[in-house]
Amino acid sequence: MKQLVEIIQNHFPINDIDLRKKSLAFISIHQNQAIPLLEWLKTTHGYTAFVLLTAVDWIEENRFQLTYLISNPENFTELGVRVFIDREKAEMVSAHHLWKSIWVYQRELKEMFGINFPDSPRVNESFILEGWDTIPPYRRDFDTKQYSEETYFPRPGRSTNDPAKHMKSKLYPKD
Amino acid sequence: MFTINNDRSKFPELDDAGNALIDLTSHKYLKLWQGPQHPGVTGNMSLELTVTGDEIVESKTHVGYLHRGFEKLMERRTFIQCFPTCIRLCVAEPDPNEYLLSSCVEELAGIEVPETAQWLRMLALEMARLQVLLRQVPGQAGTFALGLGYQWGNYIRDLILDRFEELTGGRVYHMYILPGGVRGLLPNGFKNRLEENLKLVDEFLPNVWDLIYTNSVFKKRAKGLAVIPKEWIDQYGIYGPAARAAGIMRDVRKTHPYLFYSEIDFEPFTTDESDVFARSLVRWHDLKMTVDIIRQILAKMPEKGDIKAPTPNVMHWKIPKGETYVKCESSRGEYGMYLVTDGSDKPRRVNLKGPSYTHATSVLEKLLVNANIADTAAIMVSLATCPPEIER
Amino acid sequence: MSLKDVLTPFTAWKRIAKEPVTVIDPFNDRPGADRYRGFHQNDVEKCIGCGTCEAICENEAIDMVPFKDPISGDSGLRPSLDYGRCCWCALCVDVCTTNSLKLSNEYTWITTDPEDFRFTPGVDKKSWDENDKGWVKPEPNYEFYNTQRVEMEHLHPEERVDSFIEMVKGYSHEQALAEADRCVECGICIATCPAHMGIPEYIKAIRNEDLEEGLRILYETNPLPEICGRICTHKCETVCSIGYKGDPLSIRWLKRYIADQVPSERYQSILNTNDINNNGKRIAIIGSGPAGLSAAHYLALMGYQCTIFEQYEKAGGMMRYGIPEYRLPYDQIDKDIDYILSLGVEIKYNTRVGRDITLDQLSQDFDAVFSGTGLHLGRSTGIEGSDNEHVYYSTDLLRQITEGKDIEVAEHIVVIGGGNVAMDITRSLARMQKVKYGKVNIIATSLEKEENMPADREEVVESREEGAVLMPGWAPQRIEIQHGRPTGLHVVKCNSLFDDTGRFNPQCDMEVKNFFEGSMIVQSIGQGMDLSYVDEKWMEGLSFGPRGRVKTNEYFQTDLEWFFMGGDIIEGPDVIHGIANGHKAAIGIDRYLQNLKD
Repeated sequence: MKQLVEIIQNHFPINDIDLRKKSLAFISIHQNQAIPLLEWLKTTHGYTAFVLLTAVDWIEENRFQLTYLISNPENFTELGVRVFIDREKAEMVSAHHLWKSIWVYQRELKEMFGINFPDSPRVNESFILEGWDTIPPYRRDFDTKQYSEETYFPRPGRSTNDPAKHMKSKLYPKD
Repeated sequence: MFTINNDRSKFPELDDAGNALIDLTSHKYLKLWQGPQHPGVTGNMSLELTVTGDEIVESKTHVGYLHRGFEKLMERRTFIQCFPTCIRLCVAEPDPNEYLLSSCVEELAGIEVPETAQWLRMLALEMARLQVLLRQVPGQAGTFALGLGYQWGNYIRDLILDRFEELTGGRVYHMYILPGGVRGLLPNGFKNRLEENLKLVDEFLPNVWDLIYTNSVFKKRAKGLAVIPKEWIDQYGIYGPAARAAGIMRDVRKTHPYLFYSEIDFEPFTTDESDVFARSLVRWHDLKMTVDIIRQILAKMPEKGDIKAPTPNVMHWKIPKGETYVKCESSRGEYGMYLVTDGSDKPRRVNLKGPSYTHATSVLEKLLVNANIADTAAIMVSLATCPPEIER
Repeated sequence: MSLKDVLTPFTAWKRIAKEPVTVIDPFNDRPGADRYRGFHQNDVEKCIGCGTCEAICENEAIDMVPFKDPISGDSGLRPSLDYGRCCWCALCVDVCTTNSLKLSNEYTWITTDPEDFRFTPGVDKKSWDENDKGWVKPEPNYEFYNTQRVEMEHLHPEERVDSFIEMVKGYSHEQALAEADRCVECGICIATCPAHMGIPEYIKAIRNEDLEEGLRILYETNPLPEICGRICTHKCETVCSIGYKGDPLSIRWLKRYIADQVPSERYQSILNTNDINNNGKRIAIIGSGPAGLSAAHYLALMGYQCTIFEQYEKAGGMMRYGIPEYRLPYDQIDKDIDYILSLGVEIKYNTRVGRDITLDQLSQDFDAVFSGTGLHLGRSTGIEGSDNEHVYYSTDLLRQITEGKDIEVAEHIVVIGGGNVAMDITRSLARMQKVKYGKVNIIATSLEKEENMPADREEVVESREEGAVLMPGWAPQRIEIQHGRPTGLHVVKCNSLFDDTGRFNPQCDMEVKNFFEGSMIVQSIGQGMDLSYVDEKWMEGLSFGPRGRVKTNEYFQTDLEWFFMGGDIIEGPDVIHGIANGHKAAIGIDRYLQNLKD
């Protein structure tokens, strides 16, 4: 993996290199360079298989991380390519021309994270959700607990006690 | 026998993106919804078919009948609390989920799992594969209305679930493999009882062979159906038995040996036909191989030993910032988990990638074009469609 | 397609003669496997209501509901389950601190009322309560937290027996993190701590490596963390929930770790006490022991001008003059006291109220008076020979050691007493014997048997490590005096201390005798209070409760409104009660003076 990363470094400006294990490494690259890098790795370094594309919401840093995980079926290695995109302007170039399965990932990311991939097939069709009217649910600021409390009915009649507070109220209420 | 996508004269025009331009008012086409309760899948998933006569001209996969957002739910649970959550991603074969979560957590936290626990993990994973295949192998014939083998298989599967109940305390959701190790050694006499069940599988294999694979009806319908060209394997993301039926060796246990698979002697079966028959045949061989692997595990595994490595206090177990991808071979093919941690006691992001994510969307939509309505269930079963993997 | 392909499937017919594998049996249950995760059982007598099961439950299926009145170490709550949410993962069983929670192998339950599926196992009787199969926590080496405490390093007995250097080394950074990690944050300990310290919170601060926050939490309830972190009687640890499956958390050492790590120069800025508004009211405090210092600290924070009257030349009371330096070094006492002084508290040393200034005077010069004068008078055994000049009280000797005075150290010494003070004087004298004679020759004897000795176990063990001989279970009868000097102590076997009604009434077997040789005898059987400083006219205004203690209200206010009392003379004896009393009295004084104003 180390060798491959060195070769990439000679061609592309990458950073945040994490040689995770013998067969897996992660690298970061600028948004504009990512798709050319994937294409280059696919055509010249045998990274012909696409494993997954997903997003991580780093809300504190106001950015999304997109991870493209690709694998080389010849030497059984995997490479994770990280791209950071602005959370306010969540948009990324589609990689559908490289692998025929990517449109599904991109369509899901559009729906779940609100990350747009212009020109990706059927990207605007709803995938899992229907009639969703609030923020994309996989964003960190979507609170699942709050949503379920507002949407569903809690079972009545349940109440609990914190042991320490309960003991205080019974044993030394005035302290 | 038909081939894919050659003669489109009787089918609608395609636009530049490859979508069919269907004019429903022409009375030539009919929209037919199959699902969400579908004969071809465990779980719920719907196919929006456009048919002309009994042939499919276009298919769209619709999911969302199960979605409970497990990946998101795990983001607000501590690592130990994720363990009973993540298994729910697949009812039929929950064990790989347990294994992957534990393995990701252990890798990022730097925990070494005791040897005995690793053997027990292998045993649980293989038993899970066994019980899935016991239904899937005869289930393929079931989609052509030959349900007899399915009943045979289901009976043995139930006995395997009895063994799971003994070993893990649960029949369906085993909750056995947890971060650090496993939750119990083999009970007394377990090996013998499992061996009795394996003998039934030995008996089952030739019986089901005679019933299905030499069956002229099954051959007639399954051979040549839904052929996956070799070039699609990487292009579309095709894994496990489906890839091996196309002559491409894909088995994580061989290519990236995890646990003690390197100490086990096995050779996954491959063939070239790449049709429904071939994929089913691969599974029959897989079933045979699984029995063999389980016997090897039982022979080689240590009887005693630690089942769990010491971990930090699970009530507030913080894992350093990092990310990793761990994969294993499920009965359906490569099954992986991508875990991102941020230094807190909860995961930042969990992403599970199962073969159905591509199999049941891009691949299935493509394979169904030109197929017969009556064959949809067979094609779905041959791809081992598992809808929860799509809507995690 | 061959004929064979048409015919072979028919071989399935051969199974037609086989017996069906399905069985219809509506009468017999099919029991779950031995490990089956079925319905919950809880041994409510074993359960302490720590709520760890509720905390680990990922489905929020568990509520803690009242079962009985809470007592120290038992919240009185018990887990109640909502089977509409439970997924039977059994994490609650695996984490259960007392091993009281289990899952039975029962899995069928039919009822017409959905509310039935919410129940409190062990309290609501169920048919599977007596079921002995099902899921229990796997054994061994399967724990969700470390059950073994991080060993505290001590000086070796050989290293420590000839010096007064502090023997407990204190936790390193890694050790403290590892120990703090063991806490399950149940909070059972808080009620047992007399000062109700925020124990889980400050331990969490250690885990978060935020010791400044830790120090702030300590000072909310305890202004003497260095001292308490060393010599607190740590009642909290006796009820710690994780002690049921292993060692309790080292709460005391973790407290010490926080205080040790923060340099004294930083205290004021961390605790935000740089400028306190003086409210112009003056409070007199008698005695600079834990109660007095604690009261002064909290009163000073409220803006009161406090003056402490201390009879000796240094502050600290029993903490300095009663506890040997190897357990509590003087510089650590100074660290805590200096911070309190930095808040504007004034100490008048060598000023004994009743001798140098009268209580009456204080009542006129100050708005209120707090007294924490402690127990300083040694109690005598009253046996024959106890009036000899070579028969001492431990309190006097310990004070003289602190003051650096030359005290008599005989070659053979007998100490009477089995409490912590007895151990303190035994171990102090052992050190001095080692220096003077090169060997230790000291016997400590107590009425109580080994298992009932009031001293902390570690004190007993460490005394022995240092060469002292402990002889529990003997009642002193007579001190043998020859030529004006003791030669030893006559004792008889003591069989029991209390009678059936629980009254102190030792029963001895006069036939079983023993003689402990010693030319110096030390009595350490408890201390008494000295209220001689209270003028007669005020004494009449006080009322007294059991054991001759002055009656006070919950704010430690006596019947004289301006006069508050706390510490060992009211509760205890130990440091942490003194601190708690001082804090409470400070609040009481504030309330009293606020009410006066209105």
